[in-house]
Amino acid sequence: MTYRLTLCAALLAAPLVAPLAAPAQAGVPEALSAHILPGFAGFAQATETLAGAAQADCTAASLREPWMHAFDRWNAVADIHIGPSETGALPVAFWPDSRGFTPKTLTRLITGEEEVGRDPVAYADVSIAARGLYPLEFMLYDPDFWDYEPGSYACTLVQTMTRDLARQAAALDAGWEEQFADVLRTAGQEGNATYMGEDEAVRALYTQILTGLEFTADTRLGRPLGTFERPRPTRAEAWRSGRSLRNVLQDSKGAYDMAAALADWDLPQSKAALDRLYELAERVEEPSFQAVDDPSERLHVEILQQQVRALSDALELEIGLRLGIQPGFNSGDGD
Amino acid sequence: MTTRRTFLASLLAASAAPATGWAAVGDPTYLAAAKQGDGSFVLVGLREGGEEAFRVPLPARGHAACAHPTRAEAVGFARRPGTYALVIDCISGEVLHELSAPQGHSFNGHGAFSADGTVLFTSEQVAEGSAGRVGIWDVEAGYTRVSDFPTHGLGPHELRLMPDGQSLVIANGGIQTDAFDRTKLNTDTMQPNLSYVGFDGTLLEKVELEPELHENSIRHLALRPDGLVGFCMQWQGEEGAATPLLGLHRRGEAPVLCEAPLGDELVMQGYAGSVAFAGEGREIAITSPRGGRMHRFSETGAFLGAVSRTDVCGLATHEGGYMASDGLGGLILVKGETPTPLRRADVAWDNHLVRIAG
Repeated sequence: MTYRLTLCAALLAAPLVAPLAAPAQAGVPEALSAHILPGFAGFAQATETLAGAAQADCTAASLREPWMHAFDRWNAVADIHIGPSETGALPVAFWPDSRGFTPKTLTRLITGEEEVGRDPVAYADVSIAARGLYPLEFMLYDPDFWDYEPGSYACTLVQTMTRDLARQAAALDAGWEEQFADVLRTAGQEGNATYMGEDEAVRALYTQILTGLEFTADTRLGRPLGTFERPRPTRAEAWRSGRSLRNVLQDSKGAYDMAAALADWDLPQSKAALDRLYELAERVEEPSFQAVDDPSERLHVEILQQQVRALSDALELEIGLRLGIQPGFNSGDGD
Repeated sequence: MTTRRTFLASLLAASAAPATGWAAVGDPTYLAAAKQGDGSFVLVGLREGGEEAFRVPLPARGHAACAHPTRAEAVGFARRPGTYALVIDCISGEVLHELSAPQGHSFNGHGAFSADGTVLFTSEQVAEGSAGRVGIWDVEAGYTRVSDFPTHGLGPHELRLMPDGQSLVIANGGIQTDAFDRTKLNTDTMQPNLSYVGFDGTLLEKVELEPELHENSIRHLALRPDGLVGFCMQWQGEEGAATPLLGLHRRGEAPVLCEAPLGDELVMQGYAGSVAFAGEGREIAITSPRGGRMHRFSETGAFLGAVSRTDVCGLATHEGGYMASDGLGGLILVKGETPTPLRRADVAWDNHLVRIAG
């Protein structure tokens, strides 16, 4: 362990003590430079490629691969919900859509050939249910949508949606790079009302890691599992494109990678838990979780869910406990 | 015969005995309960600039306190459902009185003094069935229990003295809880309301929201001197419903719901913990510790913007804006859209920041 981190660990072991005047920089700059900023830059680049491809050929068959690639890049930073991502993540990834707003809004746009669907700038005002990665999944993979012709309204709509997505990704990238990264880096310095101590910035990133894994376990896996009597396979995330399992793995890896950058000590138990998650994933036969009504397949997905929780527990032990980070005093309360 | 009405009138007319006022404890503007680094609990008085005026011990985690309008006395309520409340001398830290809820009642975390400080009103519920009661305590007689009257709803939470000094506004949360384990029993049929009640228990006006918002539990209140009431809510229905969490109401009019854009509303996670008007009363804000956010609205209900801050919950009126407190010890001044950190204290601030009258 470096001197810098020794100092920081000592500081964080007593989280309620007022911060030092010249705070140590425990891992926050590393998490930004090694994980978060490249993550958003990569996503911006991938969505630009997708938008360019849609301009050249809007058909579903030619866009599935660049869309897949954009989604892969998104997953590195998908579960971050602070700074520009606090409200900016949702219009990229509006899920779960329990009331089916996405297909409804798409149908309305296409049936009415609404003008907004031809204008990538005005499209920013469309309901978030029709923006971002998931409505594009409908357009590219759902049998009710994907069979559109070049030159059709739906074709133009896909071009508009990919351009809007690229604009969103560029705004997120710029917001992080040019603005919020500094808010995190200057935690504890005078005038920073978001993070009044360096430990608060560490805590904020750590919280993103744990809540992301909780979402993966409870929602990405818990939703399709439903109950034993009533599994809900079509509630899986991104099942139409067959990426449900891939998302679980990539999102978990994103959480681990950010943790590894944040802590510059080793995380052996967490690493082992992530490796085990990938091993267990090989037992799942249907990567879109559409076979969870089969008891043995269900078991495989349940085991995966337990393993995501095991990864979360390991990170809590290897980072949270070490830094003395406790759950929110008021957020965990109520009344 | 002495009726409850005449008895209360005589209480209110009696002049408060001269006692030591808030100046003796450093002229605090706010009261806040907090947890110290060693795990113990305290009640802290804060000045307008966030400086600490006093700190006295609390035996356990509190929910909200209410401040006597003139004497340096605070009533600290236990967390819900509590069976006791403590009257604390903020000068010595001594517990002056321990208030016990009547058999079969529990305190629901909030209370309010009459304008002259002679009567204390407490928010209570009957354990069996959760019917709301307002407890009446004679302050001058050493906080003795006088009587109680209905809140006109189930599971009341905050209650406040109206600016007319003659009535209360009560947030009836609508939730019926199990008498023993606090399990929510009626979220399917719950019907919260905002009730205005006279000191004799007469219902003056009751406000209910439209049926699809019946799972929006009305819990906390803010008042403007002209009688405009802000009420904030906690959604008990399906996650992600993004319902409005703040309403404005004026006696005799329809309530106005304050909605944030969908993306912002979702970040609040259906939960508002505190509500306060800004200094001049031209805007109002709510906090969500779960979302780590404060949302500002105009006095007519238009969304003005958000301030992000981890675990923010306490919120009170500050000259020209708001003072916000959080579980990380932060005290932040918000004027317009600009948050200014005042300081980070060595304690975790609990749910509410209470402004001392006057």
